[in-house]
Parts: sequence; C-alpha cells; structure tokens
Amino acid sequence: MSLPPRDFSTIGPREGTRFPDIRLPDQSGATVDLHSARRHRKALVVFYRSADW
Amino acid sequence: MQPRLEAEGVALFALSYDAVAVLRSFADKHDITFPLLSDEGSHVIRRLGLINERVQEDHAAYGIKPDPRHTNLPYPGVFVLDESGVIVGKRFHESYRERDTGAALLAQTLSILEPRPGSTPSAPGHPIQVSAWLDSPTYSFFQRTHLNVELHMAPSFRVFAPPAPGSTVPLTVHVSEIPGVEIGAVQWPAAQPSRVPGLDDLVPVHSGTIRGLVPLTFAAPPGGGDLTVELTVRYQGCSDSERLPPFSVGLRLRIKELAMVDRTLPSRQVA
Repeated sequence: MSLPPRDFSTIGPREGTRFPDIRLPDQSGATVDLHSARRHRKALVVFYRSADW
Repeated sequence: MQPRLEAEGVALFALSYDAVAVLRSFADKHDITFPLLSDEGSHVIRRLGLINERVQEDHAAYGIKPDPRHTNLPYPGVFVLDESGVIVGKRFHESYRERDTGAALLAQTLSILEPRPGSTPSAPGHPIQVSAWLDSPTYSFFQRTHLNVELHMAPSFRVFAPPAPGSTVPLTVHVSEIPGVEIGAVQWPAAQPSRVPGLDDLVPVHSGTIRGLVPLTFAAPPGGGDLTVELTVRYQGCSDSERLPPFSVGLRLRIKELAMVDRTLPSRQVA
C-alpha cells in the first residue's frame, strides 16, 4: 500500500532560484531575517515536523 | 553536526510550526544554539508551497494513527543555499521515516568532504587505488546514509565504465546483502569516451579520481546492533600503452547502531 511518488523538484522553491525572504521569530522570540542572519554564508534550511511531538 | 557546520562556514536554520515557547524549551533541553524558527500557523510553510496536503494519507499508508496535529505540516527536508542565497540543493522526502543523514547532504551538495570514518584503501603501489567509507559511522532506524567508493587513478590510467565492450570488465560495486538494509544502485559520475590500447572504437572510461555513491536505507527495527558492510569493487584498468588484468578489491566497513533518541518517530515506535 503505497501512494504514487511526488516530484519534489516541483514542490516548493526550485533549485537555481534564490531562497525566498523569510522573517520569523526564533526560540528567543527575536525576529530572524534568514538572509541577513546568513551573513553571506552557505546555509542549510531544515523543514521538520515539530519539536513538540 | 552544528559545530562542524560552523567550522565550514555554513549557517543552519530549522523551521517548524511550533510556538516560540515550545522551541525555547526544546532548545534549552537539547542545548541548541542555532535558530529554530517558529512558523506558528504554518504561513511561511504554506507560502513556500511545502504544506504536506496528503500527510494523513501518508501516515495511514505507513500505519501511523490519524492525529489533528498532522495538519499544516511541511514535507520534511532540507534546502542547501550557496553564499548568495541561491538554492543549490534540495532534499525532500515523502515521509518522516526516511531521511538522509546530515552528513550525506553536506558531502553531496556542498562538496564539503567529511573525514572518512572507516576508509579502507587497497594495495599500495597499484596505479589504481580503491577506498570506501560511510557518510556516517552510525545508523538509526529508517535512516539513509551513503556508502562512498572512491577510485584514484594515477595519471594516464583509466578504468572501463559500463557498458564496456565484451572483452573488458566494467567497473562494478557489489555490496553483500545485509538483513534489514536496502542497498540502492551505485551512482557514478558520467564516463568519458576514450581510445584504449587494442580496441578500435571509443569506449567509456573513468579517469582521475571518481566517487560512487551507494544509498543504504536502514529499514530493520531498532535493536539490530552493529553491522558490517562488505563490498567488492571489480574493475579493469588501462594506460596509454597497456591493458591491466581485471582486479577485485574486497572491503569491510563497520557501522554502529545509534541509540534511539530520534524525536521524529512516533513515540510508540521508540524502543
């Protein structure tokens, strides 16, 4: 019993494009602008289920 | 993983739909200092098109009980950004139960090469050196890692790549069956057509230093203990003037089971 596979190349922002600007609070409550906080570094942006369960 | 990322000049961000207070206690408990971004209401996840609309179906397919918390979840995965913020890698998965190791992601998409745990070289002095190592010295339930196989050829030496002519032996990697481990197909870089001694036609070959990746998915229930990955690399080399006899290198790598502390699995599955 398995669902048809999804093509992740077309889900979410595409390779070769600039990652969208996002501003969200971090664990301290301070707003983080992702691209500013990178400070011209490479970055990994991890999407995960939840820290709560 | 984070100290090594920092040493390599890579920023790490993690994003979930949890409230700030939840992330604060999680960060305190696990000594996390990189930003855990709070996308309460999943607005960013939705704007980026990463909402997993079918998560309940997926979970049903994987035998996970329906749960209201499963709405507005993102697909699990990672974006890799270069210095200018452009997406140079993207690794997403259908389910939360099959994920690449962080080390594999790093090695593949940022060309940041790991120290090689368990690297085993072949006979010294041979013009073609073979070594193998695992991206991670440990595994845990439903984790994916990669077996790396590297061939280093002396200048002017090459190895035949599939599909090689009948009279030659192409490069292959055979990994012995391991109960509970799914062994994927090896991926090599593209071969180059080349002229070799004794053959009229151009044949595909590899030269220089090449690396093949074999995906390994650890699908056995927790408690499998430490495992040995046994592989045989078979190849035939040639130089500009001569063809070498076919050669086989056998290598053995140990991988340790990591104790189950994986929060991304349903708690009832954590032994």
